[in-house]
Amino acid sequence: MRLLIVSKLDRFARAVNTIVNYMEVGKTLGHEVSLFAEQSSEFPSVPHSLEAKKFDVAVFVIYESWDFPDMPYLAQLLDGIPRERRVIIDCSGRYNETIRVEHDFNHLEKMDGHQGWEWTEGFQAVADKILQPTLTPLRKDVRPFLFHAFDPMSVARDHRSPTEAARTWSAAFNGSKSYGVAYVGNNWQRWTQMRPFLEAIEPLKKDLGAICIAGWDWDKRPDWAIQLGVHGADVDPVLLQRMGVEVNKAIPFNEVIKFLGGARFTPIFHRPLFTHLGLVTNRTFETFCADTLPLLMLPESQVEAIYGSDASVLVPGDDIAGHITDMMCRPDVYWNAVLKTRAHLAQRHSYHQRFRELLAILDQ
Amino acid sequence: MKVLFVVEKRIDAGSIHAVTNYVRAGDALGHTFALYGREDRRFAQVRFSMELDKFDYVLFVAESRLQWMNSLRLAPILSNVPRYRRVILDADGMYNERISINGYDCNHLHDRERCAWLTTFDYLADKILQPTMKPHEPRVIPLLFYGYDPSAQMKPAATVPKRFDIVHVGHNWWRWRQVRDSLLPAIERIRSQLDDICFVGAWWDALPRWATALNLEVAFAVDNDHFQRLCIQVRPPVPYTEVIRTMSEGRVNIMTQRPLFRHLKLLTSKYFEIFCADTIPLVMLDPDHAESVYGPAGRRLALHDHIDDTLLEAVREPQKYRAIVEEVRGHLVEHHSYRRRVQELVAALEA
Repeated sequence: MRLLIVSKLDRFARAVNTIVNYMEVGKTLGHEVSLFAEQSSEFPSVPHSLEAKKFDVAVFVIYESWDFPDMPYLAQLLDGIPRERRVIIDCSGRYNETIRVEHDFNHLEKMDGHQGWEWTEGFQAVADKILQPTLTPLRKDVRPFLFHAFDPMSVARDHRSPTEAARTWSAAFNGSKSYGVAYVGNNWQRWTQMRPFLEAIEPLKKDLGAICIAGWDWDKRPDWAIQLGVHGADVDPVLLQRMGVEVNKAIPFNEVIKFLGGARFTPIFHRPLFTHLGLVTNRTFETFCADTLPLLMLPESQVEAIYGSDASVLVPGDDIAGHITDMMCRPDVYWNAVLKTRAHLAQRHSYHQRFRELLAILDQ
Repeated sequence: MKVLFVVEKRIDAGSIHAVTNYVRAGDALGHTFALYGREDRRFAQVRFSMELDKFDYVLFVAESRLQWMNSLRLAPILSNVPRYRRVILDADGMYNERISINGYDCNHLHDRERCAWLTTFDYLADKILQPTMKPHEPRVIPLLFYGYDPSAQMKPAATVPKRFDIVHVGHNWWRWRQVRDSLLPAIERIRSQLDDICFVGAWWDALPRWATALNLEVAFAVDNDHFQRLCIQVRPPVPYTEVIRTMSEGRVNIMTQRPLFRHLKLLTSKYFEIFCADTIPLVMLDPDHAESVYGPAGRRLALHDHIDDTLLEAVREPQKYRAIVEEVRGHLVEHHSYRRRVQELVAALEA
C-alpha cells in the first residue's frame, strides 16, 4: 500500500519520531510511506511527495490547524485523494466537544482563532475515518488507534537481566549519568504536574543529583501566553532556580533517547487533557527505550492498560520521594519491571504491530 | 442558480456590501446567494449557509491576503465542492504578471510571491473572474461584479446635515501618493474658500503597528502635519452599512483608488456606493475610464485636471453638478444594477 502522511514535521515536537518510524517500518513491510510536502533538507531521509494521486491513502496526523497543508497543496491533496481514502489521526482530541481540564483545553479560539465546531466539522468533511490515540475515545464515530509505538531496536542498552541492569545503573551514579532526573518535553500544559513533582523530590536532591528539564519555554512564561492570558505555559523560575534545575533548550527527536539515558530517573507526564482522554504520546513509549528508570506519573488504570501489569511498580503514587528512595535502594526490582514492560511493549505496541493495525483499519 | 460566496468578513472593508446586494437581487431573480459561515450578528443583512452541497457554485472573493482562509476552514469546502464548481473573483488583480506602478504600488513584491498566488488560484478554481472590463490575462473572465443599488440611494430629505464641504471615504492603503501629490496641493490652493474637510477610514492618522514588520510602511505612509496644516479632519472607518450615510455628510465626495487598481481598471464597491450617497461624487480616475463606467456624463465628474477649480465649482454650484450626477445614476441603473450583475454572474458561471 502507498500511504501519504499529511502533517508538519518539527524536529523538536509532536509526532516527528512516530512518523519517521512509520516510514521505516512501512518500508520493511513492503509498503511505501511518504510525507506530503516538498523535499526538505531538514529531513533528508524522509521521503517526500506532492503527487497525491499516486497514493492509495492520505493519513492526516493532526495536532494543530497548520498540520493541514496550505494552499495550493491543500487543493492538490483533497482533489487528488477522495474522502473515503483519507483518514485523520487526531492526536490531541480536537474531535470532541470542547473540554476544559485544569488550564488545559482541546479548543481555544483566542489561541488559534477556531471555535470547537470548526474542528469537528472540518474533520468530518476531510475524512471518512477519524482515529484517536486512546483506548477509550469519547465519541462513537472515533476509532481507537494508539498510533505512537515502541521500537525495540531503539532500546539504548539491552540488559540481559534485572540484576545486571541494576548493577550497571547503580555504577553509573558517579560516572556516566550526568543527571539524577531528566525530563524532555516542551512546556505546554506540564507545569501543574511538574511543580508538585519537583517539590516532592526536593528533599532528595542531594542524593538524586542534578535535575535537568529540556524543551521550549521552561525558562519563563512566554510573552504570548501572558498577552493571551493563557496558563498552559506557566512556570516558576524561582522554584527552578532554588532547586538548581538546569533548563536546556529543546532536544531534537533523534537525540532524545540518548539524552534521557544520561539520567537515573525520567518522569513521564501526560498533559491534563491527554490524561482525561487517555491519549498517549510518542514519549509514552519512547522513554522505555532510554537507559533510565521511568517514573510513570499517570493514572494506574492507564498504566496497566498500556504498559501491562508489571509496570505498576513504576508508578510512584502519592509518596514520590519514598518511592524514588526505594528505587535507589532496590533498583533490581524496578529494572525487572522495566525489562518486562519493554517485552510487553515489544509484543503489543511495536511499530510493526501498529502499522498492521493501521492497515487493518484502512482496509475496513 | 445557487451560489455560495466565501469572503473575508470585514465590517469596514472588502466586498461584504456587494454580497448583501447579491442576496437581495438574487432573491428577486430566483437565484440564491449566501455567504459561507454561521450566522453573525455583525452582518445582519447577510444570509449565511454552511450547506455546501446545496449550492451549485462556490465563489471565493480573493483580496490582498493569500492565506486569509486557513486550511482547517478551507478543507470542508475543498472536500465537498469539486474544482469545476469553484470560482474565484480576483478582486485585487493578483492573477496577473508582476506589476509595479512607478516602483510604488504593486500586486506582488517578487516572482516567488506571484507564483504562490497563481498556483493557488489554478488549484483552487476552474474559473477566475476579475472586476474589470479588460483583464490582462487570457484565462481571466471579465465580470464587473460590483454594482449599483438604486434603492440604497439617500434621498436629500433623509440626509443628515452636511457637516463637510469635502469627504473622502476609504482606507489609506497605497493611496497616499495620489492624495499627497494631486489632491492636497489642489486643496491647499483653495483651502481658505472651503469649510470642513474629512477623511474617513483607517490609517490616515498613523501606520498600523504591524506594517513595519511586514515591510509595508510605504503602503500606509501618511503625513499628519500636512493634514493638520490643511485643517483636514480624520475619522475612523465606518461599517459598510454606514458608508453611504457617511458620504452623504459631505457636499462633495472624492473617490481615490490605489494606483494598481487604476492601472488594471478594477472596480470596487466604492465606484457605486458614492453615487448612492446624497453628495456630488468626484472620482480621481482617468476620464476615459470614468466614462467607460459611468457613461458620457461620468467624464465630467473625473477629477483629473484643474482639481482645485473643479472642487470649488462643485461646492459652490451644486445644482450644476447634480444634473450630471443624475445623468450618471440613470446610466448606472441601466448598465450596472445588481440585477444586471447577477445575470452576468450567472451567465459567466454557466458558460
